Amino acid sequence: MSSSAGGDPIRFMDCHCHVGSFEGMEEPHFTEVEDLLAEMKHLGISDALVTHRWASRWSPRLGNEKLEEIIAPYANLYPCYVALPPTTGEIAPPAEFARAVRANHGAVRVCPSDHQWRLTDWCAGELLDALEAESIPVLVAMQQTSWDDIAGTLERHAGLSIIVLDTSYRINRSIYPLFARYPTLRLEIHSYQIPWGIEDVTERFGPERLVFGTGLPESDGGGPISQVMYSRLPGEQKALIAGGNLRRMLGIEEEPTR
Amino acid sequence: MSETTLLQRLHAGIRLDDELVIDDHGHMGPWYNFHIPGDGTPESMIENMDLIGINTCIVAPHIAIGPDTGEGNRQAVEAHLKYPDRLLPYITINPRRPLAETEAEIAHYHELLGGIKGFKFHSSCHLATCDHVGYGPAYDYAGEHQIPILSHVWDGPARDGKSFLTRQAAANPNVAFLHAHSGNSWETIRKLTAEAKLNPNVYLDLAGSGLPYGGLEYMVAQIGANRILLGTDLPFIDCRPQFGRLLAARISDEDKRMIMGLNAKRLFKL
Repeated sequence: MSSSAGGDPIRFMDCHCHVGSFEGMEEPHFTEVEDLLAEMKHLGISDALVTHRWASRWSPRLGNEKLEEIIAPYANLYPCYVALPPTTGEIAPPAEFARAVRANHGAVRVCPSDHQWRLTDWCAGELLDALEAESIPVLVAMQQTSWDDIAGTLERHAGLSIIVLDTSYRINRSIYPLFARYPTLRLEIHSYQIPWGIEDVTERFGPERLVFGTGLPESDGGGPISQVMYSRLPGEQKALIAGGNLRRMLGIEEEPTR
Repeated sequence: MSETTLLQRLHAGIRLDDELVIDDHGHMGPWYNFHIPGDGTPESMIENMDLIGINTCIVAPHIAIGPDTGEGNRQAVEAHLKYPDRLLPYITINPRRPLAETEAEIAHYHELLGGIKGFKFHSSCHLATCDHVGYGPAYDYAGEHQIPILSHVWDGPARDGKSFLTRQAAANPNVAFLHAHSGNSWETIRKLTAEAKLNPNVYLDLAGSGLPYGGLEYMVAQIGANRILLGTDLPFIDCRPQFGRLLAARISDEDKRMIMGLNAKRLFKL
């Protein structure tokens, strides 16, 4: 947990981290849940939405099961399951799958490029319908999709929340028109390093559009912490970006009554 | 009372106004390839620097590494004259310009500024390599006046099993060769720490969008914090991410202070 000078503590929740070994590991990279928790403590991150590498890089079904098993002892870790379209029967039927994800205050990560499917209704419409019905956030890395596919998905599923991961500092000319058109589109911040990006998006589209993430253990978490803590945004907006938005999306925290 | 560590300051979002913070790798102005909120004006950059407490940023405007180096150098010096303590100019060299033009420009800014603080090379944008004859006047000046050269990459032909950078660094021991974007990926980190180990006048700049986990700690362990400089790439990139990486690194605060300012103060004679 980080402190906001003169205000309420900022409670960070990381939407973008992994456990499990992976192909491109370097000596400092960690794989175990306990190491992730130690890094979160070092950085002042309270909670995390975690994906297991087995699910993204080996078997979604077995990786999701492994994830549930290893994070079960930790109340501050939430599951980010990897999803597939239903037709091949590799994971539970969409409605059942989505209900289980929601019951665990989880989210879903999709990897259409790596997993050889399309983010379109002819391929994944039933899955996307189910995720939309259960208000489950869908995380997708930019390398796994395209702006056109994101636009098409949100056009057909207006209630679906998509969090785009692993972008860059060069995306404003593409993502701003999508922000303007689709109110449920969100952006994870660790790779969004354009000057004043946090402030400019907040001013134009609201702080609800930004979600804190680190990219751990491949990417350093100090960068995105700094983006939030040294922002000129007021404390309540920092708190939303740091974790409030994600907690509400996962059903961990209630939307404040207006 | 125990001193607040730099990591604790990151956790609390406390500016580093009482520290020496110098960004060795800045640009300035807009860029064709993407939208920059604030348009990269000197004022917008200084406001961004003030979020953290960066005292000084050494800048090579985007137009200098792009289509008009002469105009870029003019903009850099103009910004410096307006904000003398906050923005320092690199004189950018486009090796494709006529030699006489480059020599005249170096002489002009030497006279105007009472000496040039550093040169910026961007051979990739200028479609050349660092052995281009057009860089000659800058190598000569840098050697004579013992000033650093920051280069986007130090490319050029290898000979006798030695890289261009190694040969240049050995041939110009009075010049600090600053390699930009040295901490962006593990491949780069491994390659450049090896170069720096061979050459005491090779230094590694951190600017860039990549924040490979554990990479900065590895760089410090391999070559020491006194050979690494904080760069942000502002306003290509916001100054906060690289700074956060530095503050959160598992290295001593003494090492962080070298990287965030003391090394640049020494090399640029500030």
